[in-house]
Amino acid sequence: MNSIVSIEKVVKVYRVGSEDFTALHEISLEIEAGAFMSFVGPSGSGKTTLLNLIGGLDQPTSGSIFFKNVKLGELNRTALAEYRRKNLGFVFQTYNLLPVYSVYENILFPLLLDGNKESAVRQLVMDMVASVGLSDQIKKRPSQLSGGQCQRVAIARALVKKPALILADEPTANLDAENSYQILELMRELNKQFKAAFVFSTHDEKVTKYVTREVGLEDGRVCWDKRRNGFGSLE
Amino acid sequence: MIRWILQGILRDKNRSLFPFLVVTAGVALVVFTVGFMEGIFMGMIDSTANLDTGHLRLVNKPFYDEEHLNPMDRALTSQNEIHQWLRENSDPIIKWAPRIRWGAIADVPDENGETKSQTPIIGMALDLLSPDSREVDRLDLKGALVRGRLPQGPKEILLGYELARSLDVELDQTITLLGQTFDGGLATDNYKVVGLVRFGVFAMDKKMALIDLADAQDSFYMEDTVTDFLGFLPSHISYKEYKNFKIELQSRLNDLRLNPPKDWAKDDFPIVLSVLEQRNLDNMVEVFEMVKKIFVGIIVLLMVLVLWNAGLLNGIHRYGELGLLLAMGQTHWKLVWMLGVEAFSIGILGSLAGSLIGGGGVYYLQEVGINMGDTFAQTGIMMNDVMRGRVTAESFLLGVGPGIMASVLGSLFASVALFQRSEANLFRELEAG
Repeated sequence: MNSIVSIEKVVKVYRVGSEDFTALHEISLEIEAGAFMSFVGPSGSGKTTLLNLIGGLDQPTSGSIFFKNVKLGELNRTALAEYRRKNLGFVFQTYNLLPVYSVYENILFPLLLDGNKESAVRQLVMDMVASVGLSDQIKKRPSQLSGGQCQRVAIARALVKKPALILADEPTANLDAENSYQILELMRELNKQFKAAFVFSTHDEKVTKYVTREVGLEDGRVCWDKRRNGFGSLE
Repeated sequence: MIRWILQGILRDKNRSLFPFLVVTAGVALVVFTVGFMEGIFMGMIDSTANLDTGHLRLVNKPFYDEEHLNPMDRALTSQNEIHQWLRENSDPIIKWAPRIRWGAIADVPDENGETKSQTPIIGMALDLLSPDSREVDRLDLKGALVRGRLPQGPKEILLGYELARSLDVELDQTITLLGQTFDGGLATDNYKVVGLVRFGVFAMDKKMALIDLADAQDSFYMEDTVTDFLGFLPSHISYKEYKNFKIELQSRLNDLRLNPPKDWAKDDFPIVLSVLEQRNLDNMVEVFEMVKKIFVGIIVLLMVLVLWNAGLLNGIHRYGELGLLLAMGQTHWKLVWMLGVEAFSIGILGSLAGSLIGGGGVYYLQEVGINMGDTFAQTGIMMNDVMRGRVTAESFLLGVGPGIMASVLGSLFASVALFQRSEANLFRELEAG
């Protein structure tokens, strides 16, 4: 399988007061197109730092990250913003929906950011709303939705511009078990439908049952990298 | 995108209400205050123009140079010919009225015909009797009349209220005017006091007398002769435009000088003056304009400061939203543009509301006014008792322009903080909710 993200010997060091704290130690990974994978590990293991670097929100102290053979470290701030806008979707634990806008408008927004006219993408948004099963909630605001519904909106928002990669930071952490399963099921279906790679950062064991690849992180190091074909156990 | 932004500010009162109220209050204050100031100032100019100088004044230069002496022999002859020339050569919106400034000693006799009281007075002769004359309305003589009536026939005189009191003269009593004729002789004529007027200007109430133009021409031997032609402009013409009317007329005066009426003296030389060039009004205009600019500047500065802080608070209130936009690939500059559009929209809405409120207040003052007669009773300011606002395009421009500018500037200053925000922490910040 062709990889869309290549991580090569990435080190990330933070300055904490007068001390240096190494969040990632020479991490090397490949993320394939259409992957459905997770970074798992306890708090402070480097999951979010890794998502940050892949998302072009931060730069590694050393090493390189390539997205489709483009080295992110060589992009300036504006180019990185364009990289995120064109290629990435984000799903957050706390949904981060825009509270004053409706379901439809929240999903529409990334397309407007990309310079599209609403009239040209209206059907696309409606289709996406239908894909996440919220066609009857389209005019509601986030405050009128349940947590599971909010996360569906966030997923639709991340997917609507058809990005190559979705970065999801603890997407089920705020949901009960039933909603978590529904959301994971939905993401797996959308992963197959849209061929976008989903990369989760999580320590939720429920996620493990759904992903086809699990990268274990501990103290900023890769401890295991398990894959599964079909519905078998991770190996 | 702009519709999307507008929806946001309309739905989220937290981001729009306070800035909207600040802009509304600031613009309303500017529109109202500037309109009120303009009204008072224009009222003062109009009073001066109506009572004394006209908005434009055609006068013989030799007369103007020695105006304090009332040199009647330097008045302009051929009144009708000049009046016709003015009608044909000036903008049709200017209405010209011939007047005579005169000075005399008023002598009040007792029952035996001996002098009871006597005082020098200044007078204005104007067309009070012609049915098509607008002079009575122009000077609001019906409103100014305290006792008696307006002149209805020849040799009737109106006296200032204070002047009549100092002379101890009653209505229907005859007084004698002793003055100088056009050819330098002694003029004496009797006038019947038919009315007492109060102009609201103490200096005028104390010294002023009004007679009909034809009576003055008869008493002072000034047949077909006047000292002034006063030009009156409609009230919607700003004082800033008077100069243009003056220049336009002045450019045509040479024709008149080159082909003067046959009765003119060799050194007769008519000149045009605007009201602002007389009675020291040009200095007052300078001060007025400066005060206006300082006032607007202070209000705008205050608005910018308040809106800057409002923008910073807005940035905190929408910290998550702005962070999300950055994470989703919005550039910092695009975010500033978005906030600028929001501020611009709020500026427009606030300016409209402020203009309505401020303009409404000024319109009320324009139509109703505030009676300040008691306050100004003892002043020498040539000003109407009723202070009125004036709805002018300039007051709206001074309110709306800076209102929008303050809103955008405040937002832009606050947006500087956006550039200090690092994307590296966005995940953590957004996970914090």
